Amino acid sequence: MNAAACYFVNGMESETSAIARGLRRRDPDVLDRLIEQYQHRLLRYLVYLTSNRELAEDMFQETWIRVLERGHQYDPKYEFSTWLFSIARHLTVDYLRKKRPASLDGLLDEEERVSLDPPDLRPSALELVAQQEQAERISAALVGIAVEYREAIVLRFQEGLALEDIAAVTGAPLGTVKSRLYRGLNALLPRLKGAQA
Amino acid sequence: MIRDPHQHARELIACGAQGLTDSQQTGLRAHLDGCASCCDYAAAAEQLVRSLRSVPVAADLALVRTTQTRVRIHAQQLRQRQERLWLVWMSCILVGLSAAITTPFLWRGFQWLGEWARVSSPVWQVGFMVFWISPALAASLIFLARGVHLTDTNETSRG
Repeated sequence: MNAAACYFVNGMESETSAIARGLRRRDPDVLDRLIEQYQHRLLRYLVYLTSNRELAEDMFQETWIRVLERGHQYDPKYEFSTWLFSIARHLTVDYLRKKRPASLDGLLDEEERVSLDPPDLRPSALELVAQQEQAERISAALVGIAVEYREAIVLRFQEGLALEDIAAVTGAPLGTVKSRLYRGLNALLPRLKGAQA
Repeated sequence: MIRDPHQHARELIACGAQGLTDSQQTGLRAHLDGCASCCDYAAAAEQLVRSLRSVPVAADLALVRTTQTRVRIHAQQLRQRQERLWLVWMSCILVGLSAAITTPFLWRGFQWLGEWARVSSPVWQVGFMVFWISPALAASLIFLARGVHLTDTNETSRG
């Protein structure tokens, strides 16, 4: 390992160690900072996982409560985001299973599948409309594919997780993760042909 | 088994560039140089990833503040629960210690009392047992009653 890589790994370890110490102490300031740091990434993952903004917000809160309760179980050898997403996933899957014991995709009614409204960036009215339309098309396309494909794609391409981390979050073997990415991409590409214009 | 090179290349593309080893990247580049269809697929995938990253889903401030408040309140409750549990453990240890120290003296006291009152041994021994076990019985009844009360309260507030 070269010096730069070694420095990076050590830096990451000291950061995750600090997080682990804070979580073991149940330090509210550490949790406040983590909530702020991971708010968008966690919510985005949950929104795509559940296809329901309201449910995603509930799960968002429950995830942080679980992080507080199970903080002592966090192993600083791993990225905090991987552990966080894995907790969020377990909570959501448990909730959806209890609600309706079918496949995750089947758990959500069509009317519950809301489009994911992006916040306004407002560079210009025309650009805003175009951006919104694009975002809605992408969201609709994502919601239209199987939840396991959607999850893999969101974790890989939106959250930037490594393949091994996705496998850890989802509890699926690495080969399955690769195959979900491939199939997910194949399912998404035709749906988004128009949206990318 | 001979794998379809196009499918293999597309699977590698789907993993994203950072997910590939150096040799996989070299192999993929070589394949893309000679395959227009996979090259189109790679371009479409890249465009798709860019589009995905352009969709902003943001948590609003109210959600973040509510979560932080809930977490703080829950942390305080957990701390209080832990402190109570610590007190219970300490009490148990102290009671155990004091029981271990005082039991022989208490036994002799009851023995003396039994001889003084001229009662048979089983009678003062039963008396000793009742006296010895009654604080624990009383404490158990109190905890049981409190537990039932708490369960009822929780069910009423949920219902």
